[in-house]
Amino acid sequence: MAGERKKRILIAKPGLDGHDRGAKVVARALRNAGMEVIYAGLHQTPLQIVNTAVDEDVEAIGLSILSGAHKTIFPKVMSLLKQKGISDILVFGGGTIPKKDWGILKSIGVGEIFPPGSDTREIAAYLYKVL
Amino acid sequence: MTGKNNASEVNWDDYLKAYYEKPSSFKSWSGYDVKEIYTPEDSPDEKYEEKIADAGEYPFTRGIHANMFRGRLWTKREVVGIGSPADTHERLQYLVEQGGSGLNTIADVTYEMGLDADHPWAVNEVGLTGVNITSIKDMETLTKDIPLDKVSWSLITASTAASVTMAQYIAVAEDAGYQPAALRGSVQNDPIHFRYCGFRPASPLDLSIKLGSDVMEYCTRNLPKWYYTTVNMYDLREQGITAPQEVAFGFGIAMCYIDELIRRGLNIDEFAPRFTFYVSCHMDIFEEVAKIRAARRMWAKLMKEKYGAKDPRSMHFRFAVHTAGCSLIPQQPLNNIVRVAYEGLTAVLAGVQSLHCCSYDEPMCLPSEKAHLQALRTQQILAYETGVTNVADPLGGSYYVESLTDKMEEEVLKVMKRVEDVGGMEEAIRTEWLDHELESEAVERQKELDDGSKLVVGLNIFKEEEEKETPMGVQRVSPQSAKQQIEEVKELKRTRDMSKVRDAIKRIRDEAGEGKNTIPPMMEASRAFATTGEMLGTIRQVFGYSYDPMEIIESPFD
Repeated sequence: MAGERKKRILIAKPGLDGHDRGAKVVARALRNAGMEVIYAGLHQTPLQIVNTAVDEDVEAIGLSILSGAHKTIFPKVMSLLKQKGISDILVFGGGTIPKKDWGILKSIGVGEIFPPGSDTREIAAYLYKVL
Repeated sequence: MTGKNNASEVNWDDYLKAYYEKPSSFKSWSGYDVKEIYTPEDSPDEKYEEKIADAGEYPFTRGIHANMFRGRLWTKREVVGIGSPADTHERLQYLVEQGGSGLNTIADVTYEMGLDADHPWAVNEVGLTGVNITSIKDMETLTKDIPLDKVSWSLITASTAASVTMAQYIAVAEDAGYQPAALRGSVQNDPIHFRYCGFRPASPLDLSIKLGSDVMEYCTRNLPKWYYTTVNMYDLREQGITAPQEVAFGFGIAMCYIDELIRRGLNIDEFAPRFTFYVSCHMDIFEEVAKIRAARRMWAKLMKEKYGAKDPRSMHFRFAVHTAGCSLIPQQPLNNIVRVAYEGLTAVLAGVQSLHCCSYDEPMCLPSEKAHLQALRTQQILAYETGVTNVADPLGGSYYVESLTDKMEEEVLKVMKRVEDVGGMEEAIRTEWLDHELESEAVERQKELDDGSKLVVGLNIFKEEEEKETPMGVQRVSPQSAKQQIEEVKELKRTRDMSKVRDAIKRIRDEAGEGKNTIPPMMEASRAFATTGEMLGTIRQVFGYSYDPMEIIESPFD
């Protein structure tokens, strides 16, 4: 729509995990789908991520985690957002997150989880749908 | 049963389509057109002796040993790294009991980054993706009761922390009464490539070359049975590049180390026989075999012609295979067992020295014990049931495979030329040319999956509506293990003799400053209970980098 602001998305890799191929590919795909993507890259703390999200005025934060630390990192990001009184930023994720854990993440307010092998166009479509 | 109740509900038009279906592509995985059939014209054999030759003969296209697996099977080496050093030790022992023939432990992200277990960044991540060794005590736990002069141990620490790993391992072995010369195994020690795996803070280029080469030099002089580097072209391939790029970039990095060792005054034949590679085997069976055959031929020529090697062992392209982790998907995960079996078969057909088969649960979690065992069994089925061990280079002489081997060589040379054109590998790294190459290829690979030009069962073809849980359960790392290790490290730091630690750290600082090899002072410091972060941090400072790669803690020795 003319004049409508592009969706702004933050893609970040929290923690020390270095597998960033997925995060980079998703960042590129969302850009190609017409979104404004802020790629924070590797080694981000939950606080850095939330602060960047606020500074950059994003509508969604995508976290990529392949280290198995998803059960500590997602809750931290969610509670930091809550502490700051932010309820209009969607948090979604990707990486090696066993399906068993999706329910736990969703119960604390995390949006969709995209495992390896996800079609990047589906990620973009999801964001356009919910944002 | 998930089938329809009634055959009339089946879409028989789809059935008919499936019946008449042809393959959708006639390209190799890396995108090269292949012909319907290959004939003698595609691989004239008049240059057999010069270009191909029997296994065990230069240029070793067909294998580095004349009798290949008749002499010895490949080493069945499953990567282990989980929780605490004690947890990892337990899984190691389990796999040996099940017939694993090589020990293989992998560092976690904290150890690779050079952080102690009590570092603020480490708290949530210790033991999640490997094992953290903070002090020599952890190395003692990891190696407890294992006869280090009998086993072949592959230590996967890739970053600059590999130098610490070697110092800790040799110190523990010596203290247990083993001669360093009796130690057999390898250390990954390829810090240059590791910047592309997210460990750039722990792998500045100059320090990577310095510490990587310190390990190589020290092992050359003191551990004659040790393989002191495994140049990791596998990890590069996992970024999404093609088969020829994998070889070309791997060779480029290998040459960075070789050039440095020669600058240090070592003779090529002194050190090259202990050089090894870590190679990917992806899903295109023939392309991967051809890639490895081409790599063997090219490495032999490179060592002989460029570096003037005379000892045939210097010309051997020795390699371990890690089946392609990125070819596995969490959708319909049992299919991964089949993928890994094909990739493992490919590695064996290509004449592999040491093999890690991925566990089928790799895209979901660390290997569960059952999945780990299943991966080992895949290797054992290959070794004992299939007959592929009988004959060296069984695909050699195939018009197709010989022609594809030539094609791979040609394409690798093209990529190497492009690297040369940007000023060589060090320059390609410094200017981030290589970063751009890796990233744009990764985007291409994703595009191929999204648009279906590359088919993956369960991902973009034959998908199921509802995916079930991981069939054999999910491996978790006990948070208790991490907590306990962190507590032990804190306790050690409270109770050790700090004056000894200070002296040892001073010696590291002095000798690193004088350009000496850092392994001997790190061995001494390890014995004084100086930790990974302390030793590496001190060397980092000498080279003008922050003590802490994450730039949070200050050196306690300043």
